[in-house]
Amino acid sequence: MRAASTQMGRFLNYRVAGWGTLLIVLGILPWFGISSNLTRLLFTALVWIIASVAWNLLGGVTGQVSFGFAVFYGLGAYAAAMGINGGLHPLAAFTISGLVAALASIFIGLPTFRLRGPYFAIATIGVSEAVRVVMTNLSFTGGASGYRIAEHGRFRPLEHYYTALGFSAVAVVISAWIHESKFGLSLQAVREDEEAAADIGVNPLKAKLMVHLLAATLTGIAGGVYARYAAYIHPQGVFGFHTSVAILLMPIIGGAGTVAGPVIGGFVYGLVQEELVAAFPQFHLLLYGALLIVIILFEPRGVTGWLGRLRGFIERIWRKSATASVG
Amino acid sequence: MPPLLSVERLTKYFAGLAALKDVSFEVEEGQICGLIGPNGAGKTTLFSIIAGSVSPSSGTITYSGKDVTRWKSFQAVRAGVARTHQITRPFRSMTTRQNVEIGLHFGRGPASGSTWGEVAEILEGVGLGRVADRPAASLCVGDQKRLELARTLAAKPKLLLCDEVCSGLTETEMNEVLDLLRRIRGRGTTILYVEHNMRAIMSTCDQVVVLNFGEKLTEGPPLKIQNDPAVIEAYLGKTAAD
Ligand SMILES: Nc1ncnc2c1ncn2[C@@H]1O[C@H](COP(=O)(O)OP(=O)(O)OP(=O)(O)O)[C@@H](O)[C@H]1O
Ligand SMILES: [Mg+2]
Repeated sequence: MRAASTQMGRFLNYRVAGWGTLLIVLGILPWFGISSNLTRLLFTALVWIIASVAWNLLGGVTGQVSFGFAVFYGLGAYAAAMGINGGLHPLAAFTISGLVAALASIFIGLPTFRLRGPYFAIATIGVSEAVRVVMTNLSFTGGASGYRIAEHGRFRPLEHYYTALGFSAVAVVISAWIHESKFGLSLQAVREDEEAAADIGVNPLKAKLMVHLLAATLTGIAGGVYARYAAYIHPQGVFGFHTSVAILLMPIIGGAGTVAGPVIGGFVYGLVQEELVAAFPQFHLLLYGALLIVIILFEPRGVTGWLGRLRGFIERIWRKSATASVG
Repeated sequence: MPPLLSVERLTKYFAGLAALKDVSFEVEEGQICGLIGPNGAGKTTLFSIIAGSVSPSSGTITYSGKDVTRWKSFQAVRAGVARTHQITRPFRSMTTRQNVEIGLHFGRGPASGSTWGEVAEILEGVGLGRVADRPAASLCVGDQKRLELARTLAAKPKLLLCDEVCSGLTETEMNEVLDLLRRIRGRGTTILYVEHNMRAIMSTCDQVVVLNFGEKLTEGPPLKIQNDPAVIEAYLGKTAAD
């Protein structure tokens, strides 16, 4: 028992050290004279990481595949934009982003969580498209022509960068906590077998609503951080179906149901997305579709799954050469 | 003293087909009550209704003096009624230990803040200590049966509903499980036990309820049930084969 718990402790220490190093590297990187374009790309990746980590809590850990996260991202974006225009401090505006998205998650979750698997996924597409259409026609937010943020003062890219870094760190900490906690166990149980989970005392609807609320809050904040940076948002963008697909794609590419996966996926997507769109303006979505199918067929744990296999492979070779040299 | 569980005129239709018809019986606290009957008699359906995962067409269920006819399964577990599944339903990608941990946390609660020791004790109790850290999907059939029981026990039921926990086990393994059930009862847990193996029923139960085509055929002490001509007729072929 002692041995197992110290082993656990060492494992945790390695992980904390790894994440800490990543945070420090990202924290000091802007001071090493990286190009403003790279700062911009990293900012984008960090915003995507917040949403990716959030989606993974519902989709990866709890197994509820939602195609509707653009609703939270978009509501968060508009809430922050209107808050800032109304004179709020950006952090207060982001708080409102989170709250609005959280509220929306309850209204969406209550009816849709009665559906299972693909039916739930389809329902979230419907809700998401309905919200986009409403926002396109809503006059006080500028309708289809979008909404502009008029923030006073000079544009400071690093302020945006550190805001995104801070919130993505918070998202990863929440995700890591959930993976270790009693709450996280119940979410995994719901993913594996909802009825069996209820049969040992888990309230599946409550568990799903709670994790949905948490994921929506984080995604709303991501939308808010993005909106403040972009200074202009419109329904086809933040509420667009491609936004929902992006938020679902990242954790699946990186490895759904893990802590590191959604972060890896967010980095990959954030850094290659623009290049890909530039290179294949028509076909980049097709490419993602193909990638998704390959991952689901061959390695449901995405990049983290491949890394795990690679490690197993190296360890086997290592052990083999070790026994060979002994023999 | 009033019975711990009382089922009154319980009826359940599945799309016009009656899986249960007017079934009534009582289970006293501290008993092991057997529930037997040929395939399709309605035993599992009865369990699902008592445990809250299926709601009945009519009839009432009273537990500890309260009407619990249409409760939800997680409410049942928290009130102390938990069931095992005839066809095992482990949380496949999670370890054996995690499977049991969930029962401990979401049932009637762990004894103390740290659950490690208590989980280990439950796993040892059913003989799963050696596979504690394996994913549940990798366990053999017998171990999955044990896990099903361990996970339910972790919820600390006052009324345990066991659905064929011995099927697929060897004679020795079966005796171990039966010993375990008797020990659990010794600690004050009441058990309602579905089983096809008559030897298991005879050696553990205080009372037996017999279902046939969704209706209660008879009930009584195991010896009387074993020699009841109506029961033998319902089981004809099956008892002969045993
Ligand atoms: N969900 C369901 N939908 C429709 N019919 C069902 C359902 N569940 C059970 N039945 C039917 O109800 C009847 C009773 O089934 P049940 O599983 O309760 O029997 P059982 O006594 O547990 O049998 P066994 O000994 O084979 O486990 C059967 O005819 C079965 O086909
Ligand atoms: Mg059955």
